[in-house]
Amino acid sequence: MSSGRLRAFVRLLTVQGAWNYERMTGVGLGHAAEPLLEDLKSADPARHAEAAVRSAEYFNSHPYLAGLALGALVRAEYDFVPGPQIARLRAALCSPLGALGDQLYWIGLVPALMAAGIVAVVAGLGLWSLAAILVTYNFVRLWTGAWALNAGLKAGARVGTAIGNSWLPGAASRAGRAAGLLVGLALPLAADWLLDGESSRNVVLAVVTMLAGLGLAWQLGPRITAVRFGLLAIGIAATLAWRIG
Amino acid sequence: MTLPSPVVLVALAAWGTIAGLDLVSVLQGLFSRPLIAGAGAGLLLNDPEAGLRVGVLLELFALDVLPVGAARYPDFGPGVVAAVVLVSGTPWSQSLGIAALFALGWAALGGWSLQWLRRANGRALARNAAGLAAGDAATFARLQREGLLGDLVRSLLLTLAGLALAMVLRTHIELTTRFVPVSAVAIGAGVAAAAGGAIRSAGRGSRLRWLVAGVAVGLLAATLR
Repeated sequence: MSSGRLRAFVRLLTVQGAWNYERMTGVGLGHAAEPLLEDLKSADPARHAEAAVRSAEYFNSHPYLAGLALGALVRAEYDFVPGPQIARLRAALCSPLGALGDQLYWIGLVPALMAAGIVAVVAGLGLWSLAAILVTYNFVRLWTGAWALNAGLKAGARVGTAIGNSWLPGAASRAGRAAGLLVGLALPLAADWLLDGESSRNVVLAVVTMLAGLGLAWQLGPRITAVRFGLLAIGIAATLAWRIG
Repeated sequence: MTLPSPVVLVALAAWGTIAGLDLVSVLQGLFSRPLIAGAGAGLLLNDPEAGLRVGVLLELFALDVLPVGAARYPDFGPGVVAAVVLVSGTPWSQSLGIAALFALGWAALGGWSLQWLRRANGRALARNAAGLAAGDAATFARLQREGLLGDLVRSLLLTLAGLALAMVLRTHIELTTRFVPVSAVAIGAGVAAAAGGAIRSAGRGSRLRWLVAGVAVGLLAATLR
C-alpha cells in the first residue's frame, strides 16, 4: 500500500468522525480522499480543485465499505470522468453500499459473533473466547477496509459491476443465515444461564415478561423499542419491589 | 460496600470512553457492544462474573438495535461499564435487574447525546462553509478533528457521570432479595428484545428457518445443561 493509500485507509477508520445530518459522512470521505488526490494537484491543479470540492459533498454508506466509494471516485477523477457523472456515481453508491454493509455486518456478522460470544460464556469459556472474537472481528473489519479501498481504486467508474461480482453479496447472505442460527441458539441458553437457580415463580415472571414484550412488539412495531420496553418493564418491577418489598 | 480504587476508576473511565468512541466515530470494532464492554469492566474490577452477567443481559437488548446512519440508537458502552461498577461484588440474582435498568437508562441518554453531537457537527459545518465550498483540505481536517474531539468529550463525560452516579447509588441502595423478581423481569425483557430483533431480521426467508433451527438446538442444549 503506497503512503497515500495507507493514510487514506487510516483516515477511513474514522470516516464517521464528523457525522452530521447535512453531509453525513461526506466530510470524513473528503478528509480521507485528500492524500489520494495529491498527485492530481501537480498534474492538473484546476481538476484537483474541483475534485477536492466534490470529495466532501453529501455521502452516506456503511463505514467499512466507504473505501469502495472513495477508491472509485478518486480513480474516476484521475480518469477525467466528467464532474456531473462523478456526482451521479457518488449518489448512486450510497444505497447499495449501505444495504450490503448492513446486511453483512450489522445484521449478519455482528449478531452472529455476539451470539457466539454469549454461547461461549454460557459454556464457561469466559473472557478468552471474547478476546478471540474481538481479535477475529477486528481482523475482518480492517481487511474489509483495505480490500474496499483497493477494489474501488482498481474499478473506478465500473465499481458497480465490481461490487456485484465480488464476494460481498454471497457473504452477506451467508452471514445472515449464521446470525439466524447463532442468535437462535444463544437465546434459550442465555435465558437458562441467567435464570439459573431462580424459583419457578421468577421463571414464570420472566416468561410472562418475554411474552408481553413480544406481544407489544407485534402490536406496536418500531414504536416500542427494546430500550423503551426494558425501561418500562424493569422500571415498574423495581418500583413495586421498592414499595412492596 | 467498598468502592473501586482511583487507579481502577481511571481505567474504567478510559474503557467506557473507548466503548463510547467505538460506537460511531472510531473503528467500530465491537468495543461498544455490551458483552465486550461489560466483560472488560468486570475484569478491571476483578469481578469477571458480574461483568459477564451484566454484559450478556444487556447484549440481548443490543441485539435488537441496528446502528444505521441517521437513526437514533442507544449508546450502551459507558452505561454498561458503570452498571458493572454498581453491582460488582453483589449477588447477581438480586442486582441484575437494577443493573439493566441503570444501563438502559444510560444507553438512552447516550443516544440523545449522540444526536446533540451530530447537530453540533452540523453547526461547525455552517461555520466552515467557505472552506468546504473551496475544497480546503485544512477545513476538512479541522472538522474531523473537532468532531472526534467532541465524541471523545461526550464519551468521557457520559462515562464519568455514569461512574459517579453508580458509586452514589452503590452506597445508598441495598440490593436485597426483594430485587430478585426485578432481575427475572429484566431477563424476560432482554430475551423478548433479542427474539423480536431476530424475528424481524429473519423476515420470511431461509434466515427464519436457520433461526428456528438454532432455537431448537438451543432449547435442547439448555435442557441437557
